[in-house]
Amino acid sequence: MELKKLQEHWDSFPEVSMEERPILSSDLEKIVVKNPLSDAFYLRRRLLARIIVFSVLWIVNAIQLRSQWISDGPDISELIALFGLLTYCLYFHIRLLFFADYPTLLSLPLISFLGKLETVLDKYITSFKFVSGLAGFYVLALIQYLLFRTNKGAHETLSHNDWYKWLILIFISVSVDILLLHSIIPKYRKLLAGVRKYKEGILVKAQNK
Amino acid sequence: MNNSSKKGGFDVDIRSLLKIQHKKVYAICRLFADTYKEHQFLFTNIMAAASQNIRGRRENSDKQTLVLRACINMAALHSITTEMAPVVERSIQFKSPDYQRSMTRLRQSMGEASDYEKFRLFLELEKMPAEELTHLTGLPLSRNAVGKKKEKETDRAQLRKTSFNFIPYLKQKLVWN
Repeated sequence: MELKKLQEHWDSFPEVSMEERPILSSDLEKIVVKNPLSDAFYLRRRLLARIIVFSVLWIVNAIQLRSQWISDGPDISELIALFGLLTYCLYFHIRLLFFADYPTLLSLPLISFLGKLETVLDKYITSFKFVSGLAGFYVLALIQYLLFRTNKGAHETLSHNDWYKWLILIFISVSVDILLLHSIIPKYRKLLAGVRKYKEGILVKAQNK
Repeated sequence: MNNSSKKGGFDVDIRSLLKIQHKKVYAICRLFADTYKEHQFLFTNIMAAASQNIRGRRENSDKQTLVLRACINMAALHSITTEMAPVVERSIQFKSPDYQRSMTRLRQSMGEASDYEKFRLFLELEKMPAEELTHLTGLPLSRNAVGKKKEKETDRAQLRKTSFNFIPYLKQKLVWN
């Protein structure tokens, strides 16, 4: 009975209105080139930008590592660690980009679509840990450069003391991580919680039916 | 033979399909949009998603299903973003008086329907078979109480079987699903 009433209301909608007018070809041409996903859900550009930056850093690091290896330089352990981190970062981001597969994402059934969106957001949040780690290495390099320019004695002490270097590196990485946790990450966490809650809501409703 | 032609980078086949299917897109907008602005925004997003789905489709997928999946997935995203937005008084606001009246009546008879119920209603009101819901959402069909219990037992047995094959922590880390 209720459904019959609903069907009656449904059929009583005006054939043509300002809200539901026939679509023109010119409108369609503009619509189809639009990206349907909002900025928060569409991470492709951000992932691509990171992959490009990491690739450049990886090449620079590989060249530095090679020259240090040949000359048996003092920063070899640091460069090897950075090389490992950059390689894993590149692998992680490329894998995430291929996994997200944005052109076919919206053609998945709802539950798989939400599941994939959830995984992509979760992994993207994880990727900020790598960014913090990399920030540690590069800020340390910047500090060393500044010391070299301003205080040669301090630079000499720091470059010959691995313990100090690693402690500073860890301190910077943790600080950047905390900064990201309170600035950029909450937005994605909120989004992830929203997607998760919605998916669970749908599943619960479907199970109760 | 493929009789589709491209004009300005846009497939004519997709254009005609979207023109035919646009009523269905409007239909889902009725269930999820509360204002004229939301309605227009959701409509354009669904059309864009449908076109993207068809362009990137695999050989074995049906165009009609892809359009409907775009409708459902975009409506779900719309619900998620609306829920996350700051709480404001939500009321029905449309430009044409006839449409406003129809929408108010529809919302009154729908009551506080959940999104899952809205998806089912969408299929029902658009006269599509209920089985279609499984293809569109990946959810099982509603089962009766007896079948439910039996199925739960089979699910549990299957879960037990698969969970022994993987170390859960490793599975979670290595397999993104």
